[in-house]
Amino acid sequence: MEKSILFYLLLAVPLATSFLAFGIKSRRLVEAVHFAGISIEAFLSLQMVQYVIREERLFALGDMLYADSLVAILLLIIGVVGFLNGFYSIGHMRYDISRGEIDEKEISSYYGFYHILLFTMVLCALSNNIAIMWVALEATTLGSAFLVGFYKHKASAEAAWKYVLICSVGLAFALYGTILTYSNAFAMVQDAHKAMLWTELIKMAPRLDQQVMKLAFVFILIGFGTKVGLVPMHTWLPDTYSESPSPVSALLSGVLMKCALFAIIKYYAIALQAIGKEFLETLLLIFGLVSVGVSAFFILVQKDIKRKLAYSSVEHVGIIATGLGVGGTFGVLGALLHAINHSVTKSLLFCTAGNVIVKYGTRDSQKIRGIFKVAPITAFLWTAGLLALVGSPPFNIFISEVVTVIAGIEAGHFWTMILFLVLLVVVFVAFFVLISETVVGSPPEDLPKGDVNWLTLLPIGILFVFMVALGLHLPSTLSQLLQRAVTIVLGGTI
Amino acid sequence: MSGTNIVNVLSVLLILTSMLVVETRKLRMAAYMYRFQSLVLVTIFLSIAVFMEAKPLYIWSITALITKTFLVPYLIFKVIKRVKEQEEGVAIDKKLTIILAVGILALSFAVVEPFHMQAVLKLRVALAVSIAHFMLGLLCILASKNALKQILGYCLMENGSHLTLAIMAYNAPETVEIGILTDAVFAVLIMTIIARRLFKDFGTLDTDKFTLLKG
Repeated sequence: MEKSILFYLLLAVPLATSFLAFGIKSRRLVEAVHFAGISIEAFLSLQMVQYVIREERLFALGDMLYADSLVAILLLIIGVVGFLNGFYSIGHMRYDISRGEIDEKEISSYYGFYHILLFTMVLCALSNNIAIMWVALEATTLGSAFLVGFYKHKASAEAAWKYVLICSVGLAFALYGTILTYSNAFAMVQDAHKAMLWTELIKMAPRLDQQVMKLAFVFILIGFGTKVGLVPMHTWLPDTYSESPSPVSALLSGVLMKCALFAIIKYYAIALQAIGKEFLETLLLIFGLVSVGVSAFFILVQKDIKRKLAYSSVEHVGIIATGLGVGGTFGVLGALLHAINHSVTKSLLFCTAGNVIVKYGTRDSQKIRGIFKVAPITAFLWTAGLLALVGSPPFNIFISEVVTVIAGIEAGHFWTMILFLVLLVVVFVAFFVLISETVVGSPPEDLPKGDVNWLTLLPIGILFVFMVALGLHLPSTLSQLLQRAVTIVLGGTI
Repeated sequence: MSGTNIVNVLSVLLILTSMLVVETRKLRMAAYMYRFQSLVLVTIFLSIAVFMEAKPLYIWSITALITKTFLVPYLIFKVIKRVKEQEEGVAIDKKLTIILAVGILALSFAVVEPFHMQAVLKLRVALAVSIAHFMLGLLCILASKNALKQILGYCLMENGSHLTLAIMAYNAPETVEIGILTDAVFAVLIMTIIARRLFKDFGTLDTDKFTLLKG
């Protein structure tokens, strides 16, 4: 296959699927089209990853699109986790129709928006032009707004409102960061096209104006930081994640958040060479630790299971920011690996929470009792997911958290890491209590026994396999990608 | 009067219109003010295009004229028609907002002081105004308790950042500028759709009444 065609296909497939989905009336047909769309997209992203492994860097459309190992990791997340969340959507939305949460007629627009969101995320990942990357990220907010407010409840409307307003306002700050970076670069190269390309910016990074880049990075961190949910810009996040349909929560937390995160990482790479490590270290460690600290408290006091998971996303973004703040080979490696691990584990948990909600008809942790007796497979996945989330071995998150902590201690942040671990213990306690409350005990008497159907269990089962596999062994392809991505971020050429 | 002077004077006019958007209590009036302001903004774009010989800005002016003076106000007026004029509650006292606005203006001038880039030097006043404008939009969102007024605040932020873009990146490729404007229109479109739904569900656009989600 011609390589540049792969870029265009990656963008065209979700867009075409979306148009098709909006036009189809029959539920079964739209499900089939959706499934075909996500499968092809997953296949294409894997194909792209293979190309990147072989050739290291590819360009298309006059260098406006590109893919290197850093991009490939994000693309892998979008393709694979996006596929599994999309797969889970089919079963879950059928339940929602039968529960009367949504009309069967509306299902086409769900899948239509799902693929618009996929398209904008892929565009964001592949953009070499920093302004187009911003445009794509803003478009992800707009594409996902209807998915967030998909249910007809009053609370869904309120959540969608908060989501769009706060994220759009936040992203407006990131536009400033983008403009500053561009005009800084333009003053040097006098070439409007090149001054917007990330691959060019990273080359000229050491010569960029320090003052301007400092300001630019602060704007970027506030802007894209709103979208990833760093404290104190996180206020929209618990509402949005809890009110969205569960597969959407999984997609938002597992995939969309990573798009904004990788945008921050791209600027981090530029800023690292332009202004040095010290400034970034202070800024990211503060944001990271405050996010972990504040969310730890909220995880403890929330009653709603999806709000607990939402705050846990804030916590994990904090962990990733801490890794980036610590910096160096292991810090960045920890952050990138944690991004992958969090995508897998959090998607698994939001989908499983979806099953629990289908079964119990509530999100209130005080009313959910004895999942094990009612739905044993769901109970198993729920327990394993929560244990993984708090960093227990042998699951994936344990590895990336250990890497982050070791990197921190090696970089001389001993006491910071102790504080970090103390906060993680608080989260551990909070989720351990949740497991003991919800899994064991006796379920409400009128609740029919029996697990949810295989359509909603299979995609979670696959996520479970990933979660365990990544905890036991890092595949050589992935470790190669990660090593190269770390080199790219730290400014070495490969 | 030189070209850069015209731009700088026009941008002062811009800040006056945005103050009016922030301060007026009547939604319809605020929307008219926004429309007038967008017209001033387009004039600024055109002047920069002429004086800086920045060709991409001609297209940017035309698209801005269509989107900011017609499409966006049209969307807002449509919602106003639906919800009728609502007495708007304020979160921050009027006197305080004026003091804050002056503070923002002063701060913006201080922020642009250390900029030494060539493109910026001549248009420093306009750049300061654009940043102040952006912050005033944010102030408008924070100070008001009406969803529609908050949308207008977001539009002010956009006008501010788009002016910054025109000043600092007047030679940026058209695709980028069109992309950014398209996003801007869709953002307002989606916000108004959600605002209509909020009105249908809650019977008001008072954000104090949206209290289902807390904590």
